[in-house]
Amino acid sequence: MKVKKVMLNINQFPIVNENTILKETLEEMDKYGIGIACIVNNKNHLIGIITDGDFRRKLLKVQKPFSAFYLDYAIDHAIISPVVCYPKASLIDSIDLMGLKQVWDLPVIDDKKKLVGLLHLHQAISKVLPK
Amino acid sequence: MKKNKIINIGHGNVNKFSIGGELPLAFVGGPCAIESRDHTLFMAEAISKICSKVEINWIYKSCYDKDCRSSPKSFHGIGLDEGLKILDEVRNSFGVPVVSDFSNPSWAKPTGEVCDIIQVPAYLCRQTSILKSAAETKKPILLKKGQFMSPWNMKNSCSKIESFGSEKIILAERGTFMGYNMLVNDMTSFPIMASTGYPVCYDATHSVQLPTSMGNISGGQREFIPNLVRSAVANGINLLFMETHNKPDEALSDSNTVLDIKYLEKILLQAKMIHETRLEILKKYGKDNVHV
Repeated sequence: MKVKKVMLNINQFPIVNENTILKETLEEMDKYGIGIACIVNNKNHLIGIITDGDFRRKLLKVQKPFSAFYLDYAIDHAIISPVVCYPKASLIDSIDLMGLKQVWDLPVIDDKKKLVGLLHLHQAISKVLPK
Repeated sequence: MKKNKIINIGHGNVNKFSIGGELPLAFVGGPCAIESRDHTLFMAEAISKICSKVEINWIYKSCYDKDCRSSPKSFHGIGLDEGLKILDEVRNSFGVPVVSDFSNPSWAKPTGEVCDIIQVPAYLCRQTSILKSAAETKKPILLKKGQFMSPWNMKNSCSKIESFGSEKIILAERGTFMGYNMLVNDMTSFPIMASTGYPVCYDATHSVQLPTSMGNISGGQREFIPNLVRSAVANGINLLFMETHNKPDEALSDSNTVLDIKYLEKILLQAKMIHETRLEILKKYGKDNVHV
């Protein structure tokens, strides 16, 4: 089975842009109940990701007031070279990759770096578990 | 951290220059309020001579309506039509770009038609109707940081202006309220506001203001202007703002903070030298790299 069959489509997970502040990014993640937001530029190319874990680590480290932290651009706190997968990749290989990298989500991009979906561990696992 | 944006100043037959990034420091100066045609032309000529000598690009600043005076008895201004006519004469006579603030959305269009920069007063820095009308002029906007605003909250005002189609913003620090009748200058506001990518300005004369400290008028400690200018320029600014007058005690607005023109040359020379030295330091030793 290929990633394309299982991945969440563009309107099913949090996507923000380079001008989105952290407050709005958190709201977007909360809206979908998914612990990752993909950050794209105006050509829809993936330029970074930010996850619940990144927020957790920032909360323990950043000393500025919340009001200032909320107004930071998400891209300034993002992982700018995230682990990704491709629509035609094998689902099993991609789940292995998630295990190897200890992540719950893999942004799915095409060969031009355009964001086309998100592979979320829950959906991925449910497809390979015996019914 | 956004990429530095460069703002082009000047339209028509005035000296045109750009500010932002690592470009030379520029200056904004003039009396707080337009007092009369003759005084305005006198001040423009006097400041022009000093700026030519110092070799610094500059913008003439004077306002036609002072809507935030503490007392109803204070001079309110010469008025929109007469004021803009005088500012236009300054442009034509000295080839210098001009700036005035505006306090009513309906004044933005005529102000933008004459002025090279349109200024948003600090007290109005988050008023949507004001920001919208400023953006619609398509002129660069000198956006003063409200004394009640944190530097990071100015991003919200920038977002409003951007949503109305303008990305020509200069963010100005002018002191922050500390309790009653007192302003403090937080030098971290420059890197915070500069993280928007927009050029930053230091308004040194309003920063030493003691708002309404004299009961029905504002006082100020102008003796600190040189110190604060040196700190701000060394920190990293693109534009230095100082209200300037030939007879501060007789100034019709902000007489307790306006800089006597006799001190202007020395302060500008220092500011220019510090700005150039800062750029040399950054080039030699690299940009700041201390992170969280």
